[in-house]
Amino acid sequence: MEIVVCVKRVPDTSEADVVITGKDIKKDDLAFEINEWDNYAVEEAVQIKEKLGGNITVISVGDEEAKEVIRRGLAMGGDTGIRIDHPALAGSDSMAIAKTLAAAIKDIDYDLVLTGAQAGDLGAGIVPVALAEMLGVPHATLAVGLDIEDGKAKVKRELEGGLMEVLEMDLPAVVGVQTGINEPRYVSIMGIRKASKKEIKLLDISDLGLLPKDVGEEGSLTVIEELSVPPVTKVAEILEGDPAEAASKLAEIMKEKGVL
Amino acid sequence: MMEIAGEPFAQKFDLYTCMQCGKCTGGCTVSLKSPLNVRRMMRTALVSESSDAVLGLKELWDCTSCGTCTSRCPRSLDPAEVIFGMRSLLIEEGRGVPKTIMEALESTVKNGNPWGRSKMKRTEWLQDFEGEVKDLTGGATAELLAFIGCTPSYDPRVQDVARAFATVFNAAGVDYGILGNEESCCGSEMHAMGEEGLFEMLVEENIELFGGFEVKDMVTISPHCYNAFSNKYSEYADVNFGVKHYTQFLAELIDKDGLELSKELGKVVTYHDPCYLGKHNSIYDEPRKVIEAIPGVTFVEMERSRERSLCCEGGGGMMWNEGAEGERTAVVRVRDAAEQGAEIIAVACPFCMLTLEDAVKTAGYDDQIIVKDILELLAESL
Amino acid sequence: MAEIFVLAEHREGELREITFEMLGAAKYLGKDMGATVTAVLLGHDVDTYAEKLGSYADTVLVVDDPKLDYFNAEIYQKVLSKLISDKNPVVTLIGHTAFGMDLAPALAVELGLPLATDCIGLEVDGGKLFVTRQIYSGKVNAKVSLKGDQYMVTIRSAAFPVEEGTLSGEIVKEAVAIEDVPYRKFIGYEEAPAGEVDITQADYIIGIGRAIGDPENIPMVEELAEALGGVLACSRPVVDKNWLPKDRQVGSSGKIVKPKLYLALGISGAFQHVAGMKDSGLIVAINKDPKAPIFNVADYGIVNDLFKIVPVLKEKITELKG
Repeated sequence: MEIVVCVKRVPDTSEADVVITGKDIKKDDLAFEINEWDNYAVEEAVQIKEKLGGNITVISVGDEEAKEVIRRGLAMGGDTGIRIDHPALAGSDSMAIAKTLAAAIKDIDYDLVLTGAQAGDLGAGIVPVALAEMLGVPHATLAVGLDIEDGKAKVKRELEGGLMEVLEMDLPAVVGVQTGINEPRYVSIMGIRKASKKEIKLLDISDLGLLPKDVGEEGSLTVIEELSVPPVTKVAEILEGDPAEAASKLAEIMKEKGVL
Repeated sequence: MMEIAGEPFAQKFDLYTCMQCGKCTGGCTVSLKSPLNVRRMMRTALVSESSDAVLGLKELWDCTSCGTCTSRCPRSLDPAEVIFGMRSLLIEEGRGVPKTIMEALESTVKNGNPWGRSKMKRTEWLQDFEGEVKDLTGGATAELLAFIGCTPSYDPRVQDVARAFATVFNAAGVDYGILGNEESCCGSEMHAMGEEGLFEMLVEENIELFGGFEVKDMVTISPHCYNAFSNKYSEYADVNFGVKHYTQFLAELIDKDGLELSKELGKVVTYHDPCYLGKHNSIYDEPRKVIEAIPGVTFVEMERSRERSLCCEGGGGMMWNEGAEGERTAVVRVRDAAEQGAEIIAVACPFCMLTLEDAVKTAGYDDQIIVKDILELLAESL
Repeated sequence: MAEIFVLAEHREGELREITFEMLGAAKYLGKDMGATVTAVLLGHDVDTYAEKLGSYADTVLVVDDPKLDYFNAEIYQKVLSKLISDKNPVVTLIGHTAFGMDLAPALAVELGLPLATDCIGLEVDGGKLFVTRQIYSGKVNAKVSLKGDQYMVTIRSAAFPVEEGTLSGEIVKEAVAIEDVPYRKFIGYEEAPAGEVDITQADYIIGIGRAIGDPENIPMVEELAEALGGVLACSRPVVDKNWLPKDRQVGSSGKIVKPKLYLALGISGAFQHVAGMKDSGLIVAINKDPKAPIFNVADYGIVNDLFKIVPVLKEKITELKG
């Protein structure tokens, strides 16, 4: 099995007081990590390789820092890394990123491409499905189960309301991985250090046959115009006081509203 | 041969010296409820060909790093370190690592603390504090660096201890400062959980951080941080600063009449020796001296104290791991305290605080016994 | 006259709510763009759906074929690309659902259309379409412009209200030759295994989030649930970590619940979770972060550490219940 996994380095904004600067947020104080969905995708790739043998290429579009997540993927069990970087890529929308990835992946003799179903920063969920179309292969996204057998992928897709869709498709194919599909293993610092010996190939967009105008804002059909803090539509009445006071007020309200 | 960084276990830990006498196992508290057999672990480490031999040993994760085995070994070997070494094999390969331990490690890599909290919120404990605390990263200078530690920085209960630290040190007029949000994990528990690479990385980063602020002297709240800085760091780097646990610092201060305590506490107090002050560092007298300096304290010793003290099961990564099933030793400890008629169990370690507070509830002593850090008792009696 | 396409979504014998939400949004968009609204219905034996959709759209375009009985992204894509190429709708709206996410990006690539996904706002300015979508897990709203004069947009569930259906749209059947898609086959639906508790039937639900931190902390919350006579539920990360089973998950990919009381503990209020509990009777949130979006859904809130509140709250409740 020749597997390609796409990964992205994203900021963790879960506890952050987000500050907007122009068309992005201030990121210098933020901790970065591998996109959570991609982490599951890498684990899935490694588990398939452990079962069926083969080779894993970990690929990311990003600056120097993106090496961090590629190396992490290599430490998990990836074999080779590819990083695609070019100043013209700034401002690319998800479609332009998919286009860039497709240009790099089409030259690999792959059986399976795995990506996260979406990314924690932009949350578009476009890459896996767009990538498949660009590569001209079948796809399924939101996979919470994946079995490879006899040149076919059996996928369980997560639908709404706890329902799953089971489908089968021919390989090669692209699968967008949903969180919870597996239990990603721990990646040790020592493991990452050892993996730094594995090659990370750096590709320019010209190596992919793309021109600057094909990517970035110019090569994108959607453009972020302006960012804002979401308007508050409703605000909870905050019960003040120390824990005992607040809890007491809450219990009283619950009684008053007849839920006790 | 099982190896760590190319060095066989046998050499690294001098395992041929082990005569399999079993004194380690005999003293191990955890072995009462876990299949963990330290003597056998020493043997496994010596004879095993690969980490496969370790993979099936779930009890490997039960060790609380109390250090009893190490202190009892007649050949001066360090069985606890052998266990951490075996853990490190699995950590390095990412195999068989308990999920909650993984989370703690990943959080430390990302945020510099094992509690899953943002690095930017490290000084959150200061929010409700009314006194002044110097932040060296904001340009202030001070003679002493106060290393707050991850648990006092983030755990809502132990944040009270961090504030008590500041209250007491302010009252004593000590010239100290903190590293604000730039403070990072000391790595003590990362080492115990077997994340050697992460520990090395934290040592390097911390040494550089301390060097940048020209730290000469440091005081810690946690005995685990204290032990890491005073014993472990020098194995990896040049350490150019002195470090004390706060009980040591305050015992000296009390000797010099530098701390004025006036309010009567009027309570029967016992003291639970934390392993990382006691067994690991033989610091037994200083905490007792500080407690006895508090007016109106009737101090009682528990049946098992000092060298014979019972581990609370908070070390060795057990704050992030379920561990062996069965009654918690912390519960036994609460009963020990109740036997002596103690109203307060004084602790000097954030982990002891958390395990014993839970145990007081489990043992059903909620209305009889409370757990307080020595710093909190001092703050109350100022 | 220009046309707005709305892709009707149905599953297991029902038109899904998102369809009507999109038709509501399309009505206003249509006014701003001077366009009519066409509900596009793909399926098999779907006359009843078509009739129902007629009250919400100017036209209902139906493609009826046994091959469309179940959703299959590849087959849907072929039919839709044909319809869109033929009719050139100015905007095509698709749900940002498990169906839409599997379909829209490929369709947009095939047709070369700009695509904005998971949108919560639509706006027309100078004849151009602008959408609002949330980034950085809902902490920031982004206003996004789409190039060109023909657009594709996926719409977040529950972002738009359902309007009353007052129209009587014309039902138009369209025959499209559908080629086989041997490379992707629908096999079936599967329910997540049911556990011992059905949270959708509970009157009192305590939902826990990532902030619970450690499965060891769950018993403490269970005690509170017991005091209330309620059950424990959770947000997605808790299930991903295997701390609670999947059947306890509240949210768009879990269960939709409407208890008398929903007590959210350490739940930040990600949209996916909120979608599953927003219609609860009384919503109370306890969270350390005063800016957590859950406070924009809750009726009452306490800004504090859940571990500090839960034990005292349990006592108070036990007291009051006598």
